[in-house]
Amino acid sequence: MPMKAEAQARVSGRHRLTPHLPCDPDYEPLRELFSHHIHSFDHLVEYGLEKALMNIKPVEVVDPNTKLKLRNILLLCRQAKISYTGKFLVDVCFKYGDGPGGAVIREKINFGQFPIMLKSKLCHLRDADHQKLVACKEEPSEMGGYFILNGLERVVRLLNVPKRNYPTSMARSAFRNRREGFTDKAVVIRCVREDQSAVTLNLYYLSNGSARVGFRIRGRENLLPIGLVLKALIDATDHEIFMSLISVYNDKYEKAKGSVGTQILSERAKIILNEVRDLSLFTRIQCLHYIGEYFKPFMDGMENESHSAVADAVLREFILVHLDNNHDKFNLLIFMVQKLFSFIDQTSVPDNPDSLQTQEVLLPGHLITIYVKEKLQEWLLKTKRQLQEETKNRKKNFEFGSLADVKKALDKNPAKQVGLSVENMLKTGRLVTQSTLDLKEKAGMTVQAERLNFLRFVSHFRAVHRGSSLAGLRTTSVRKLLPESWGFICPVHTPDGSPCGLLNHMTASCRITSYYDSEGIIRDFSKIQKSILSVLVGAGMIPALPKLVKAGPPEVLHVLLDGRVVGAIPTDRVEKAVSHLRKLKLSATSAIPEDLEVGYVPISMGGAFPGLYLFTSPSRFVRPVRQKFLPPEGNNNIELIGPFEQVYMEIECADGGNGGRLNEFPATHEEIHPTGILSVVGNLTPWSDHNQSPRNMYQCQMAKQTMGFSSQGINCRADQKLYHLQTPQTPIVRTATYEKYRIDDSPLGTNAIVAVLAYSGYDMEDAMVLNKSSVDRGFAHGYIYQTESIDFADEKIKSDRGQRVFRRNYTKTETHSFIDSDGLPYIGQMIKPGEPYYSTYNEVTSKASDARLKGSEPAIVDYVAVDVKNKKQLQKANIRLRRGRKPVIGDKFSSRHGQKGVCSQLWPDVDMPFSAGGSLHGNFVNATPFSSSVKKPDGTPENESDSLVDELGSLLTARGFNHYGVEVLYSGVYGTELTCEIFIGPVYYQRLRHMVSDKFQVRSTGTVDQVTRQPIKGRKKGGGIRFGEMERDSLLAHGAAYLLHDRLHSSSDHHIADICSICGSILTTTLIERQKKTMRETKGLPPAREPKKVTCVSCQTSKGMETVAMPYVFRYLAAELAAMNIRMTLQLSNGAGA
Amino acid sequence: MEGASYQRFPKVKIRELKDDYAKFELRETDASMANALRRVMIAEVPTIAIDLVEIEVNSSVLNDEFIAHRLGLIPLTSERAMSMRFSRDCDACDGDGQCEFCSVEFHLRAKCINDQTLDVTSKDLYSSDHTVVPVDFSDTGAGFENNEDQRAIARKGIGKDHAKWSPAATVTFMYEPEIHVNEEMMETLSLEEKTSVVESSPTKVFGINPHTQQVEVVDREAYTYDDEVLKKVEAMGKPGLVEIYAKEDSFIFTVESTGAVKASQLVLNAIEVLKQKLDAVRLSEDTVEADDQFGELGAHMRGG
Repeated sequence: MPMKAEAQARVSGRHRLTPHLPCDPDYEPLRELFSHHIHSFDHLVEYGLEKALMNIKPVEVVDPNTKLKLRNILLLCRQAKISYTGKFLVDVCFKYGDGPGGAVIREKINFGQFPIMLKSKLCHLRDADHQKLVACKEEPSEMGGYFILNGLERVVRLLNVPKRNYPTSMARSAFRNRREGFTDKAVVIRCVREDQSAVTLNLYYLSNGSARVGFRIRGRENLLPIGLVLKALIDATDHEIFMSLISVYNDKYEKAKGSVGTQILSERAKIILNEVRDLSLFTRIQCLHYIGEYFKPFMDGMENESHSAVADAVLREFILVHLDNNHDKFNLLIFMVQKLFSFIDQTSVPDNPDSLQTQEVLLPGHLITIYVKEKLQEWLLKTKRQLQEETKNRKKNFEFGSLADVKKALDKNPAKQVGLSVENMLKTGRLVTQSTLDLKEKAGMTVQAERLNFLRFVSHFRAVHRGSSLAGLRTTSVRKLLPESWGFICPVHTPDGSPCGLLNHMTASCRITSYYDSEGIIRDFSKIQKSILSVLVGAGMIPALPKLVKAGPPEVLHVLLDGRVVGAIPTDRVEKAVSHLRKLKLSATSAIPEDLEVGYVPISMGGAFPGLYLFTSPSRFVRPVRQKFLPPEGNNNIELIGPFEQVYMEIECADGGNGGRLNEFPATHEEIHPTGILSVVGNLTPWSDHNQSPRNMYQCQMAKQTMGFSSQGINCRADQKLYHLQTPQTPIVRTATYEKYRIDDSPLGTNAIVAVLAYSGYDMEDAMVLNKSSVDRGFAHGYIYQTESIDFADEKIKSDRGQRVFRRNYTKTETHSFIDSDGLPYIGQMIKPGEPYYSTYNEVTSKASDARLKGSEPAIVDYVAVDVKNKKQLQKANIRLRRGRKPVIGDKFSSRHGQKGVCSQLWPDVDMPFSAGGSLHGNFVNATPFSSSVKKPDGTPENESDSLVDELGSLLTARGFNHYGVEVLYSGVYGTELTCEIFIGPVYYQRLRHMVSDKFQVRSTGTVDQVTRQPIKGRKKGGGIRFGEMERDSLLAHGAAYLLHDRLHSSSDHHIADICSICGSILTTTLIERQKKTMRETKGLPPAREPKKVTCVSCQTSKGMETVAMPYVFRYLAAELAAMNIRMTLQLSNGAGA
Repeated sequence: MEGASYQRFPKVKIRELKDDYAKFELRETDASMANALRRVMIAEVPTIAIDLVEIEVNSSVLNDEFIAHRLGLIPLTSERAMSMRFSRDCDACDGDGQCEFCSVEFHLRAKCINDQTLDVTSKDLYSSDHTVVPVDFSDTGAGFENNEDQRAIARKGIGKDHAKWSPAATVTFMYEPEIHVNEEMMETLSLEEKTSVVESSPTKVFGINPHTQQVEVVDREAYTYDDEVLKKVEAMGKPGLVEIYAKEDSFIFTVESTGAVKASQLVLNAIEVLKQKLDAVRLSEDTVEADDQFGELGAHMRGG
């Protein structure tokens, strides 16, 4: 019953547009791309804040505790240009008295509104499915991970920071300038506490053979002799320290493979110990006393403490802060000294701080945690000062014991500033701190998550920045693409120009470790570490505690677990231990986390410092690879590996090349897919392995500038500018990524039949000809949606605020066809430039005015939203305008292979070349010659039997086409055969957002600058384009004097000045106003032009008045000089050369 | 040159004729004629298409311009078009294009009353003239909670102005190929070689006669001038084994119509339009004058 079927289709109307895809959309792969943002924020609100508050130094008698509450105002935020925030309440505990018996009074203090990340645990959309999301007028695929502040969506940029708790040896010339006697070599460790705050500790090598420990307190670096710190940490005899330091040296292994100690070591150890003795410090107590005395002035709130207590605080808060046991600190310091000396003696090479091996990433939640901690600390200190002042004053009856009085005092230091400062940080991306938070960056921490198109939006969350401080660097070493980043950082997806190599993108499979495991349960790191330790001991490790380690490589390897020396493992047992750990990583029953990084640095001749470095910490890069040595039981043989361990692993790639691997090093792991090295955007280029390599980079940039479906709910959005393609298609040629990340939900282009030929000359130099008839039928039609937000309560001039309201002007009836009775435009109304689209009324001055459309393009009112909440009058509105943009000459298009071109002509159907078969029926035909930019990739192996050309060629031949995809075409103009074979076929074409309508700039006459009388600049203001020095040079070189004069004088600030030839001044001449003669006017004749009467004010005469043509700026120069008491005189003469 | 007549008498042979499809041979004329006919069919045969839309209510998800544009692209039966006036030349309505001589009025009313998506198609379009109705079935748009109420005016136009007035979906022609197989030379080839020659053509032009085992031309017109066979023969070291020429004066036309005008009518209308255009050139007394004006350029254009 075909009729019935049709009728049903008419009612249900649900045509499946993507029959190959599952009905229920799976957004999980997509959401996984954003998970690191959300996990880090979840951690912040669940544990991080608590940890941070625990770590805040209690001031006087204050100890806080957290609780967060939230309000649900999400959609409203985008529309009303406000922020999505929740209330940030902190329990501040007041505790009186010193002893544990003192009463604790909890008091909730509101620390202001705290921004909430979308889709985090505080967000009410956290567990919403796509139907609920749509009902909330959100994207069905909404991934979250950003904040909404003032209606703008902002993302915290991921930042590359040094890997936490790993001592890095490096040489920097800046180290030399620290003090006299310093060398450029040091071992640096960035220690991160549980609350994510970091302290970097430097261990410098001195040219005298000793070392200094350096750390920063409030930006100033303090240096301590290493011996002093070692002695202060634990009670150890000089002999014990000496033995520990030289433990890595064993004359048995002198110059053997993997030996890192040398004979000089004992000399250096003596120097280190002598340094302490020279300060006449012999015991631990003396050392602590010495440190305490030195640091007392730097430590806040410790003025009344004993020296040793201060020293304890210094060791706790600045020396290796990730460890809380002094024995651990001691062992790690010894290890660092050994690594430093090995680096000096060239028994090991320095680590590369620019490589991903020694880097991790700073996550949004962690950044906010440390920022909040800093702000709370500041607030507490301020409060303390306030309370002290109050108690000192005592003039009012301020009772310290009474809570009410204390609270009153607290009001003077508004706690809400804390929430506000976090919001401001996210809004501006600027960190306002006194301490640096151990970060090099101060600005640019957040960026707006533009929704220009879906790919651009996604890329914001996958981008990792190296830090803007490196952008100005002259050296290019930081920008290099290093092999260490293989599989983690996309080699293709980085912008051209200044951020090249600094702004990178993670590969599609790359993840960031978090505090949550794959089930979303918070990790218990102490438990994890314990089980790893027991596994290691079982594998033959000698634990470090309580005994001090007395050996080193090549006999045994140090084992570091999250920056703690946990022991040493005999070299012959380490490989077995490593593979055992790797097996346990995959086992679901073991407590070993799946993302444990097993950084086994084997012994080598002068290679990297050997050891077994284990990391369980969050914010590391990880990526999945397939383990080969495990029998595939339980199907799970996917191991997550990090960039540190990757370097020492044998991973083969499924592309068959095997990378020239020798048989001695069989592959233990295998890449899951060859495209795993590419980012999401890079993965969308089909057959990118057949492109010239930079084309792929260009495409990654252009994909992010393409017009497409930026949002499914475009009618619910109030973005300042949105691009929209009317009839997009999914590409014929697709990669698997299109389905995995549901790119078809936000398509980015149209399939067009493209012929590559030279036809008509309008296609030279990356230009292309579009078929006008296709454009008539809707090819690449686009829209620009622009939302104007008007809020009279927030005007620039303070006194004007809240005075104006939207109101129609009833006396001006001619505007009524544009403006509705509420003063706002009709929806669907077309407005031409200069026509009014809303009118306002100032209630104070009773002045009515109309806002008129600017620009040169008509617009259509798409949508109007008003804010009537808690206001009597209409003062806040969003007007969304829609501008149709069909393709015109000058608009930019590109294929998916970095081949961009500008439309140079719209040719009618009949003029386009046609093929005899009629396959080219003119729907979407572009003639695009790629002129110089198409180059065949060189070095394609000849013997490759199943090359892509043959594979596709046979498919073409089977369907009656030419093997190479060429066809015979006929000229549309003459009907004759074009005597060459023309490559023709469907190509997915993207329309880029760069359109002439937004860019063209023309001017004949117009506004001039008030001071210089030269034409103004700026497209918006109708200004001109500067005819600059280089343009001038070119005209001079051509001898085009007349044109030069025309450009620089006649068409610019041509001016005829009156000059007094007697005194030579142009400033003293003045025009004398004659009295008007009314006689002629009475006769009805126009007044005859009278000669201008000009006199010189200084010479008091009209004699010697001359007129000279000159640029007006010359007069301005004379005036400026006169203001500086410099007189300019001109000598006039007739004729040239005189 | 003077007085020499180049008059020829082209012949047309119709091969296939359907409502929306025609295939015919055009012989004894040259490419300029054939191409002129093609161009006229695509761009200058008038049809009727919606040109002006007044939207009263539109609460669908598609915006007004989108709907108007799509309405314009609906092919309307345009048998009347040849006799209709262009609204710009219409005396009856002073060129405002709303009278019966130059326009047809349509109404579209659609409302979705349940919570399902309603498909609005050309069937919802009501014409004021039963001779001008939408061709078959085509989408205008679909919307959820849709409410549309619009008045549309259809006018006569040509494809040159906008593709919506083009009556042709595809009009192409090919030069009739002339294929000579050198039988004598072919005899020297083995069967294998013969097969490779046959198979070198991506389209099925040649075949091997199962009885005589000779290479024969099976379908001349399947040849796409791809030169594959010639290249193959050349590579075999037997140039001249197969020779292919394009006949300069025979064309095979394929015409597909949108349905606005029947394919056969489209060809006839095109010839009519072409005639009118030629008449316009002939009648214009200015042409000679203009030629004089252009002087040398004119002479050059005349082929001198």
